Amino acid sequence: MEVYGSSGVSLREFGCEQSLLSRPDGSASFIQGDTSVLAGVYGPAEVKVSKEIYDRATLEVLMQPKVGLPSVRERSQEQCVRETCEASLLLSLHPRSSLTLILQVLHDDGSLLSCSLNAACMALMDAGLPMSCLFCGVTCAIDTEGRIITDPTAAQEKESRALMTFAIDSKEHRVLMSATKGSFSVNELQQCIAVSQSASEKIFQFYRDSVRRRYSKTL
Amino acid sequence: MRYKVKCVCDSFNPRKCLSFPLFLHTVRTAEPLEYHRSYLKENCRHDGRELSEFRTTTLNIGSISTADGSALVKLGNTTVICGIKAELANPTVEAPGKGYIVPNVDLPPLCSSRFRPGPPGEQAQAASQFIADVIESSEVIQTEDLCIDRGKLCWVLYCDLMCLDYDGNLLDACIIALLAALKNTKLPEVTINTETCSPEVNLEKRRELHVHKHPVGASFCIFDNSILIVDPMSEEESLCTAHLTVVTDEEERLCAVHKPGGTSLSGEKLQECITRAATRQREIQKLIDKVINSVKAAQ
Amino acid sequence: MKDTPLSNCERDFLLKAIEEKKRLDGRQTYDYRKMKITFGTDFGCCFVDLGKTRVMAQVSSELVTPKESRPNEGIMFFNIELSPMASPAFEQGRQSELSVKLNRQLERCLRNSKCIDTESLCVVSGEKVWQIRVDVHMLNHDGNLMDAASIAAITALCHFRRPDVGIQGDEVTVFSPEERDPIPLSIYHMPISVSFAFFQQGTYLLVDPCEREERVMDGLLMIAMNKHREICSIQSSGGIMLLKEQVMRCSKIASIKVSEITELISKALENDKKARKAGERCGFAESMPQERITALKMDETPVEMTDVTEKANDIVHNADAPPQMVPSPVVPIPGVGQVGQGVQSTWGLEEDDEGEEEENDNSGEEQDEKVTRMEEEKLESREGDVVEISDSEEEEVVILNPEKVSKNTGYTSHHKGAAATQKRKRK
Repeated sequence: MEVYGSSGVSLREFGCEQSLLSRPDGSASFIQGDTSVLAGVYGPAEVKVSKEIYDRATLEVLMQPKVGLPSVRERSQEQCVRETCEASLLLSLHPRSSLTLILQVLHDDGSLLSCSLNAACMALMDAGLPMSCLFCGVTCAIDTEGRIITDPTAAQEKESRALMTFAIDSKEHRVLMSATKGSFSVNELQQCIAVSQSASEKIFQFYRDSVRRRYSKTL
Repeated sequence: MRYKVKCVCDSFNPRKCLSFPLFLHTVRTAEPLEYHRSYLKENCRHDGRELSEFRTTTLNIGSISTADGSALVKLGNTTVICGIKAELANPTVEAPGKGYIVPNVDLPPLCSSRFRPGPPGEQAQAASQFIADVIESSEVIQTEDLCIDRGKLCWVLYCDLMCLDYDGNLLDACIIALLAALKNTKLPEVTINTETCSPEVNLEKRRELHVHKHPVGASFCIFDNSILIVDPMSEEESLCTAHLTVVTDEEERLCAVHKPGGTSLSGEKLQECITRAATRQREIQKLIDKVINSVKAAQ
Repeated sequence: MKDTPLSNCERDFLLKAIEEKKRLDGRQTYDYRKMKITFGTDFGCCFVDLGKTRVMAQVSSELVTPKESRPNEGIMFFNIELSPMASPAFEQGRQSELSVKLNRQLERCLRNSKCIDTESLCVVSGEKVWQIRVDVHMLNHDGNLMDAASIAAITALCHFRRPDVGIQGDEVTVFSPEERDPIPLSIYHMPISVSFAFFQQGTYLLVDPCEREERVMDGLLMIAMNKHREICSIQSSGGIMLLKEQVMRCSKIASIKVSEITELISKALENDKKARKAGERCGFAESMPQERITALKMDETPVEMTDVTEKANDIVHNADAPPQMVPSPVVPIPGVGQVGQGVQSTWGLEEDDEGEEEENDNSGEEQDEKVTRMEEEKLESREGDVVEISDSEEEEVVILNPEKVSKNTGYTSHHKGAAATQKRKRK
């Protein structure tokens, strides 16, 4: 839990469990504080003729909200996750095939999009799909006094003046995806990017640790 | 004087092509990416534009007489029409002192062969969501202004954006059309009859909507992980590796930095885009103001 | 995506094993797989693991107007979502036969059995009642989805707390959990579904079939029962004929299973209540198995902020300053404006010097005509009631070359509109 009032620049405790589902080819659940997303990947598999692309695999991302049916908001988040994954996956290695990534929201307590991105990346890793780089999501909020809060909770998100989510790649630490809400100055944007880049180091280190732990013994 | 390369290749008629050899036509259909790269290498684009040049933007305000506010925008060939319909509604329980704005982007099959009839596709939904986010983030209209009687009655603005011709850069065209239409919107006066408690609308007496901010978007495409081009056409959009839309208002505050994915971009490159977007904002705000004034003068 | 089909030899092997009273996972005929019930951070969120089958249920509430036929009853809504995550055969947003079947069975099991007191959900008769929505998401399909779904749904309903409401005159206020403690639903009994798979035309019977067994079974019998041994619903599918004795035997087995499961649910609810009362953290973060090598957790980590400000300033300062000059827009007629010199649109609404280039296009003339017509309409719409026609000063408005205009049939009206605009200006 983050302590209110103190410097908000920290990541809540986070965790991940891989290959927890038996049916999908790759699965992972990612937890950031109380926010939790479950991801499952199927593929490469047979593709519908209407969706076939001759020189690369078709990636579909489905986001399932906890209550009710997917709405327009989920659609736009799906688009963000899909295009981020497309940029890092080597899709041309599996032409005329399909990849399906399903994200199930288990609990939303802020920073949902960044948690979804992290879960997606871990699930893709678990599925053993070839990728050119890894990616992670970081959410930054700017509160009414202009301070930056990383990985905000739902309450902090509500009070914030602006909210930005970035996907950072592991190779050059550049911005793969950006989704923002609220208005902010150029300087604030650049600061948030810099903060996200430094926070991404921690997450990539966590990715590395969890992979090392996983392959420390043969399953 | 600005040097202008006018390429007639768009006609797809080899005899008419004066500036480039015949094989380029073959290249364009067979190897579209290579075709575009050959221009980008020379720091220009196949239609004669520079990398950071927008297409001609044409704006018509008050295009639909039956709407409460309307505007038509042409960005090159991309055409978007926006009509605003105001209706009376009950405010929500969570926000009793606020009205609401419901934007909807429609991409009918008539605007491009890539869209099919039926329920809105992913692109239309993503665009609607983006426009809704821009309205909320930029505070272009303060929803408190739409409240008539706290907790009882408010205005709801249905902003219907329809694309008539799709040739890339839908989002920029939509934002301009929406902003111009909002500036053109005049709401009738509503009084509440104290005896019957029913609202009475006086259609004769209309007041303008107060537009607080002027958000304007600038869209970019990234080619080959490094080359940034502004205002992409649909062909360029389908070939590029990433999209980016930056929305700024008149105080140079950013309302949206929307990059749904694609190849990565460094902070420095992003700054370039923001600078370009700020210039574009001034350009468009000037255009809208001038056209609005011309409409007022004509009345 | 299609599901991988079952091969013939696999099918034969499974059937043979069943004939020999053996199951692939080493269970006995009447054994359930290992069941685990966990709760989320929210009230009304429950996970059920039945072997490898995993199901999540979430209960939510909303104030709505009641049905006219039942003005003082709350509304129960059930939705089983066959998420494509559970199996590649499930498709997003498509009502498959299986999903209809499961939804119907869940409704019969929980709504028609009247296990929830819907009258207590009424706030203002005929105006406002609570709608309780139960969303059940299938996360992993390894057979017997129905049992897992019914257990998850009833446990989530027991776990759920709805916000308290206060009525003052006509005003209904909903209190947040901080203001007033939320209220649990009143549940009379807990119906639980138990599934039986039949093989070889009903000769062999298995409890809690896994996915493989479901694929080779001939028929399925689902009995929903509560711990008082009252049958709430019974359904046989797959087209097998069952004898009275078989059904009786199944209902006896079901009653034992139901009492076991009910006990497990009560225990899980009890544990969760204790944990919440003690202020311990609950939810997924706690339910994650720490000992597995596939799982890892990291504590709260600070992010270095030392050079962030400088880095941001550097980028902002090093960037080129935007040009102060912006091109001035052209307004040919009131209501129309144009800016920029990039690619022109096919409407050809442009400054005089570039007008000629456009004529190279074969379609140029035709399009120009369209422009005129568009212009007419715009102008006419603005000028509803023009009476007088003046024939002066239209030059500024006409964009086309004179010979083209003469071809245009709609010239007069255009003329009229334009002239009227001019007239207004003079006023």
